[in-house]
Amino acid sequence: MKESVRVRAFARFRELFGGTIEMDLPWPATVRSVIRELEKINPAGLAELVDNEGNLKKSVILMINRERIMGPAREDCPLRPGDEIAFYPPVAGG
Amino acid sequence: MTGERWPLTPRERERYERQIPLLGEEGQERLLHSSVCIAGAGGLGSPVAFYLAAAGIGRIRIIDSDRVSRSNLNRQIIHAEADIGRSKVDSAARRLEALNPDIEVDPRPLHLTEENVVNVVRGMNLVVDALDNYPARYILNRAACMHTVPLVHAAVNGYCGQVMAIIPRKTACLQCAIPHPPEETPPPVLGTTAGILGCIQANEAIRILLGEGTVMGDALHVWDGRAGTWDMIPVKRDPACRACGAGGKG
Repeated sequence: MKESVRVRAFARFRELFGGTIEMDLPWPATVRSVIRELEKINPAGLAELVDNEGNLKKSVILMINRERIMGPAREDCPLRPGDEIAFYPPVAGG
Repeated sequence: MTGERWPLTPRERERYERQIPLLGEEGQERLLHSSVCIAGAGGLGSPVAFYLAAAGIGRIRIIDSDRVSRSNLNRQIIHAEADIGRSKVDSAARRLEALNPDIEVDPRPLHLTEENVVNVVRGMNLVVDALDNYPARYILNRAACMHTVPLVHAAVNGYCGQVMAIIPRKTACLQCAIPHPPEETPPPVLGTTAGILGCIQANEAIRILLGEGTVMGDALHVWDGRAGTWDMIPVKRDPACRACGAGGKG
């Protein structure tokens, strides 16, 4: 069974993966399922989103339905059909 | 702010005549009696300093330990070719004094540390984070929270940037928003990105100084100059935040 979610990628992630992506995922799904799909879109770009273990980089901001998801194991957060998952990489330059 | 008034001189009335209808004479007086510290005289600090000086912020303290290099000049528009090798704060002070000789500019060629940040922030009505690295940003953010001084943060990378206003004890602070800093590699930056974000910082600074508050608290406002979009990333105060919550000074 598949269900769909909407993925929004901001700033640098928009350049790497596209701005808004309607994504069909094998269900049940977690944030990790989204990461796997993003890897298909841009395998090289994934290194900017995840660390060597395949987990989201700590600095990356993750939101589900505009609610910030904090703490460890964010990748295992379960999704519901129709969820909006957003990724933002804070910037540093001045 | 108190209800105290500082009547404008005829010269001040002339200089600011196009914004006084917007701010009122009392608002202009407030700006002229405000003190702002701009941390960083680079890509963001350049437009922030120009616009705050032009608007008549009475005292501008500007902090940076660097010297001007040619590779700064694509974005750090307060400096010019002739300033290469000169201290950035001296270069900025000269330009600001040329723009508006009626304000006081206090250039401080120093590197922000835990030890000197108190002297930098103390007595200021507002602080602007125009820095280029998170360790220094966190030092500034903590000091602003501790001394209850509003802080306007921004950062840029390429065509993108983020801006957020921090009103201590009311809104989330920088460390609530970004508890884990991104990797520090010198990012590519277009001058216009720094210009856009710096102008917004200056705009928010003026509104906060006027007592109008801010519409940029509790969210990172994210500009994408390729897509031409602004997005808002909501942020909540973290009660355990090491800078502004129970995880810090208490």
